[in-house]
Amino acid sequence: MAVEKNYYTIDPQGKLSCLKCGVPLVKGKAKFMYLDNGFPVELPVCPVCGFVYVPEELALGKVASVERALEDK
Amino acid sequence: MAQIRERGSTHVYKVNKISREEIEGMVSLCVYEQPPFCNAACPLKLDTRAFLEAAAAGNFKKALQLYEKIAPFPLVLARGCEAPCEGKCRLGEVGDAVAIRAVEEAVARYGEASRGGSIFRTKKKKTVAVLGSDLFCLFLAGELEKKAYPVTVFCPEPDAESFLRSMAGFLDDGAFRLELRRLKSKDIQFEYNSPVTRESYERIRGGFDVVCASEPVAKSLFPAADCLPELMYWEAENLVMGRGEGVMDAAFGAKKAALTVDRLAQGLDPRNTRGQEGPVETRLYTDLSAAVRLQREPVPPEGYTKEQAVGEAGRCLRCRCEECLKSCAYLRHYKKHPGLLAREIYNNTQIIMGDHQLNKPMNSCSLCGQCTVVCPNGFDMARVCHLARQNMVSTDKMPLAPHEFALMDMLFSNGDAFLCRPQPGFETCRYVFFPGCQASAIAPETVKAAYLDLCRRLEGGVGLMLGCCGAICDWAGRTELEEQTREFLDRELSRLGNPIVIAGCPTCKKELSRHEGLRTVGIWELLLQLGLPEGGRGLDRPAALHDSCGARGDPETQKAIRTLAARLGCELVETPDSGDRSPCCGYGGLAAYANPEVAGEMTASCLERSDAPYISYCMACRDRFARQGHESRHILELVYGTDAGAPPDISEKRRNRLNLKNELLWELWQEETAEMKLEFELKYTEEARQMMDERMILTDDVIAVLEDFRRTGEAILDGEDGLLVARCRVGNATFWVKFTRDGEDAYTVHRAYSHRMQVVKREG
Ligand code: SF4
Ligand code: SF4
Ligand code: SF4
Ligand SMILES: [Zn+2]
Repeated sequence: MAVEKNYYTIDPQGKLSCLKCGVPLVKGKAKFMYLDNGFPVELPVCPVCGFVYVPEELALGKVASVERALEDK
Repeated sequence: MAQIRERGSTHVYKVNKISREEIEGMVSLCVYEQPPFCNAACPLKLDTRAFLEAAAAGNFKKALQLYEKIAPFPLVLARGCEAPCEGKCRLGEVGDAVAIRAVEEAVARYGEASRGGSIFRTKKKKTVAVLGSDLFCLFLAGELEKKAYPVTVFCPEPDAESFLRSMAGFLDDGAFRLELRRLKSKDIQFEYNSPVTRESYERIRGGFDVVCASEPVAKSLFPAADCLPELMYWEAENLVMGRGEGVMDAAFGAKKAALTVDRLAQGLDPRNTRGQEGPVETRLYTDLSAAVRLQREPVPPEGYTKEQAVGEAGRCLRCRCEECLKSCAYLRHYKKHPGLLAREIYNNTQIIMGDHQLNKPMNSCSLCGQCTVVCPNGFDMARVCHLARQNMVSTDKMPLAPHEFALMDMLFSNGDAFLCRPQPGFETCRYVFFPGCQASAIAPETVKAAYLDLCRRLEGGVGLMLGCCGAICDWAGRTELEEQTREFLDRELSRLGNPIVIAGCPTCKKELSRHEGLRTVGIWELLLQLGLPEGGRGLDRPAALHDSCGARGDPETQKAIRTLAARLGCELVETPDSGDRSPCCGYGGLAAYANPEVAGEMTASCLERSDAPYISYCMACRDRFARQGHESRHILELVYGTDAGAPPDISEKRRNRLNLKNELLWELWQEETAEMKLEFELKYTEEARQMMDERMILTDDVIAVLEDFRRTGEAILDGEDGLLVARCRVGNATFWVKFTRDGEDAYTVHRAYSHRMQVVKREG
């Protein structure tokens, strides 16, 4: 399935930080996986512990629509 | 808690099991695409329904365009046609048939003739000669001109006017002038003063690719001339020929002849690929109760005026079967009749690789069976959708997402919230009360009152079983789970000594009566036998009774409920589509999970039927109506004088089941259940509650996230709104909660969302 790779780019502008590590999130590499399909993406990530953040708009928007598309495969 | 297995991959390729024959057999039951009666009777296949519709709307231009498709000389045809369509018009069975011919004549007279423009059309290469001057020749020349053949007519008359007069002298002056103008505007060549002789015939033969002649001309040349009527063709002489006696006869002959010319010009056998010609039989259904204007507008000798024609065309019923669409909100939503939708859904199951675009429609039918009752041919859309779902599951192509919440809810009902006990003091029981999963979730007090009442008044012991009958997995097409549920319930029932099941819900009754050797009875029937308990009372205002789709085809239940309502003193108002024709509230078939929008339209069309408060006998109906703000009561609430009040949200439904179980265990069986105490305090904003209900997020999911947060300390702090965001994977989804800390062990939830994809950090 052809899903564009970096369908989300984010500039956290220092507003998001990791509570545990006390550092701002940075743009980092992550991967979405569903039903045996994987897509590399870029998401806000904690540079120390690696917590990957999926913002609400992304979850309800693009992520949901890719889920629907895969579910109907 | 148990989980439902998500299919492992989209890359699974298995063959389906539904037979095409079975589907085609079902599809052929739907007569939606059958032609209307008038159109079927018309040898020229006028789209009569569309024609009359345009005429009734006063759009004579469009009407004439439709009519010109079958009639190159509309006034000639309209004046002389014997109108076989009128003989078959369904209105004729209850009143006067539509005066179709007279409307045609008025349209031909007053409609704006289409501007030919034919001169600029690219003509075909092959040339055609037409010999003679009768109606057949006139119509044939017109048909061939329409097909863009260079056509030349050879006639003895000296000019166009005398040519037309020789065959269409029956037209009045006005009509004659119109048709003469039309004839002259057409791209037809004439060789006037050319009676055909043996000699000229040979010349014409040599000069044209195809030669046609009227029968008298052909006979004068060849006394043995003999044409095949289906083809209008004399093969021995390679001559296309026909007669021009009756107007319709000539027009139909010309139409067949034009097709033969077309085939010959292309060097093809004129017998092949002709399609359906002439009048046909039709199986269309028309609801004649829609017929109101039964009397025909009398046709004056000079024909209708424009206004009269508009009026008469307006009487047409536009015969079209839409019985199911009238009733079913789901079919209306997809704007498709079941024949078409069923075929598309079947094709969806055949896709091994690629997008299954019909998944959502297939999962949006409430499997309620209303269509089968209202359809004159018993079309069973529920079976089509149910088979398709089972098939998608068995080939591992069914997405879990649309049904997962409902299936998990069922596992909860038959797991944590399940209860099966004999009546205190009994080892085995004669009866067991099975209220149904929705009743315990929505009206636990009513369930308790009913159970205590049954224990008090029935002999032989009444056990209690709180759980789900298995309708959920049946609807989801998960046959394996259905089988497991059946075995589980049977095992539990046998522990009670295989009692008679008293169902509190018609769907449970239906589902459970499929178990081998199981006897079921509706609580409503028992209540009629036992008499009403103290305190039961109907509503003080007239109410509408909504029949549950689970009771379709179960007249005893429908009747028992009405008797019960009458004994309670309810005054029932008549609603359209009641009894077997009742629509589904939107819960059935898990429509509400797979497609909340369509389910909402189903609920709305139930409620449209009356402004009165609704009484139902299925808790799901009660709940869905109440959620729309409509006053709605379950008949058992009236019987037991309870009021379940405002509808609970999805988490409250689970809590209600659990609390009911624990309460009864304690009060009746003196069993104490260890209460799960949260180690922290959790509050929700109103916005969060609503959001969770809409997004199907349970408080349990939120608790899991916060417990996880308390254990790991992992969260994001959003500097913009100051909210903390934590997450946790529960089952097949990741839940995210946005919250604030109110103290060491206290939190307020502001937002929650989830996704099914898993997300991981990627190296490199
Ligand atoms: S009622 Fe519906 S399913 Fe039945 S024939 Fe008519 S259009 Fe088809
Ligand atoms: S009512 Fe209208 S559509 Fe039906 S048969 Fe008559 S003319 Fe045709
Ligand atoms: S929702 Fe009911 S009436 Fe509509 S197609 Fe499905 S089974 Fe038939
Ligand atoms: Zn961190």
